[in-house]
Amino acid sequence: MIELVDIDKTYGIGDITTQVLKGVSFCVDKGEYVAVMGASGTGKTTLMNLVGLLDKPTAGRYRLEDNDVVTLEDEALSHLRNRKIGFVFQQFHLLDRANALRNVMLPLIYADRYPEDAEDRAKKALEAVGLADRMHYNPNKLSGGQQQRVAIARALINDPAIILADEPTGNLDSKSGIEILAIFKRLHKQGRTIIVITHDNNVAEHADRIIVLKDGQIAEDKPIMQPRDAETELKELNNKEGQS
Amino acid sequence: MRILRLTQEGIRALLTHKLRAFFMMAGTLIGVAALTAIMTISIGTARKLKQQASKWPHDVIKVNAGGGKGYTMPQEAITTLLPADAEAIQDQIDNLVLVTSVAEKRGLSIKGNSRQTGTNVFSIQPNWHEVMNWYIDQGESVTDEDIATMARVCVLGATIREELFGEQDPIGEMVQIGNVHLRIKGILKPRGVGTSGRASDDRILVPLSTALRRLFNQEHLSYIRMTVRDPDKIEDTGEIRIERTAEEVRQLLHERHHITPPQEDDFSIVHSSIVIKDIRSISKTTTVLLIVLAGLSLIVGGIVLMNIMLVSVNERTKEIGLRRALGATRGDIFIQFLDESLAVTVVGIVIGGILGWIVSILLEKYRDLSIGNSWGLFALIVLFALLIGIFSGVQPARRAAKLQPVETLR
Repeated sequence: MIELVDIDKTYGIGDITTQVLKGVSFCVDKGEYVAVMGASGTGKTTLMNLVGLLDKPTAGRYRLEDNDVVTLEDEALSHLRNRKIGFVFQQFHLLDRANALRNVMLPLIYADRYPEDAEDRAKKALEAVGLADRMHYNPNKLSGGQQQRVAIARALINDPAIILADEPTGNLDSKSGIEILAIFKRLHKQGRTIIVITHDNNVAEHADRIIVLKDGQIAEDKPIMQPRDAETELKELNNKEGQS
Repeated sequence: MRILRLTQEGIRALLTHKLRAFFMMAGTLIGVAALTAIMTISIGTARKLKQQASKWPHDVIKVNAGGGKGYTMPQEAITTLLPADAEAIQDQIDNLVLVTSVAEKRGLSIKGNSRQTGTNVFSIQPNWHEVMNWYIDQGESVTDEDIATMARVCVLGATIREELFGEQDPIGEMVQIGNVHLRIKGILKPRGVGTSGRASDDRILVPLSTALRRLFNQEHLSYIRMTVRDPDKIEDTGEIRIERTAEEVRQLLHERHHITPPQEDDFSIVHSSIVIKDIRSISKTTTVLLIVLAGLSLIVGGIVLMNIMLVSVNERTKEIGLRRALGATRGDIFIQFLDESLAVTVVGIVIGGILGWIVSILLEKYRDLSIGNSWGLFALIVLFALLIGIFSGVQPARRAAKLQPVETLR
């Protein structure tokens, strides 16, 4: 599904340059749930930008499905982002002045063909993240967890190849965080490919593979034999609350 | 349609920031409104002037006493235009049908039928009627005999007749101007408002000799008026006949009055092509004024629009980055932001146009201004406003399109 080979990324011009990524190589297959870990400054965000087609590597090859994306022009990259990648950001990045439904429909505006059932699709996506009753609320009327769920619905609307999440629980309390992770778990079970970038072990342990970055290189790339199950944890949490 | 969806996005952004949209619109709105009003008024005024000019018979040359350029009036203080000049013109200039001399005095006191009023005295020759194409309604006019004998007779205009005699028959009655008693021989046909815009029926006609000797005690004329045969004919020299004739008259008078240019003329010549030229130059001035005002008001509006849009782009870098991440191309962002400027401009033009019309109609109603319309000029205003809108929108839109999602999404 995605294949990165010897990716270098250097910032700066002339003598003052910083090499953030040094020869990073890995593959992610369809249906995998991968966590990319690392302390701050290890190149996590740079890697996410590269995988998300928001930036180009200085050297190396990157294949996304059948596309050799390093050679692609800005416009082609935009179209690929629209079709293939569903972003989930730490700060949610919703449009303040638009309601949940419109936020979810936003990627469709930039699709090659605007689907006739755009609104139905957005409604279904919102139902899938449990916000059927919040469709016409603006983001400022929603909690952080709800906003992030709107963002996930938005990421799903174009049926992307990869869900790319950057610290998706970073701005949330622990319960909302678990809720988001439960949604990821469910999406994973439905066969979605998910890449989560995080510094938080509690988040990474829900994936079934962890890639650890250190000083711009891959320090570790290992499967998790028994990943945590956010759906079960959420149920337990709800039960506990019910008892008290 | 992708472009329609992008436009919709732009309009949504405007609607969520109504105050900002209003300020962006203000310059265009006021500019277009002002221009529309100026256009209707200047066209109306030009049309009014043209109507006046068209009353000027196109085979007539008039030589006024006193210099000046363009569409002048006779000057009373100038005493150099004489009946002998008229005779010389008649004898020496070709292609003239009729030449008539007039001395006029305005605002003289006149008594008659125990009433008193003020009027304008025109001293005429018998051929005056033909030259002016203005004839007697009742009774008869001044004759050659009257001129020869300096007869104490006169012809009344419709207004003065009404003022002094009302419904009575005035023929044969007497009126008095100064110490001179004049017998009324006839009444002129009513004519209404003349070329100069003055009420032309407020006049009394007196034989030229009577007026010069008995009433005015002067030798000089106010003007000489003549008609030209086939005024539009092109002469062998390539000139239009009436212009050629006017030039000949000018040279003759230079000779007779001992004037050598660049010394200033003590007379001025008016004919239809001069009147039309005058009016063209007036229209030209208003058109230039229009264009200058168009430039200023709309350009200022455009600068305001551009600045607000630039601020808006800076405020919305995150939004732009997000849209780029979600699949918007640079072109999409460019179009969306340009559409915001354009939508504001279009709405400003529509409201401004309507407002301009309302102002024009109000001015016509309450300020006695004539208004007119030219769709061509209106289209030009719209086009200009649109161009300014596009021009002002391009720079901010380009800046928005250049933003890199990586940098804006942090």
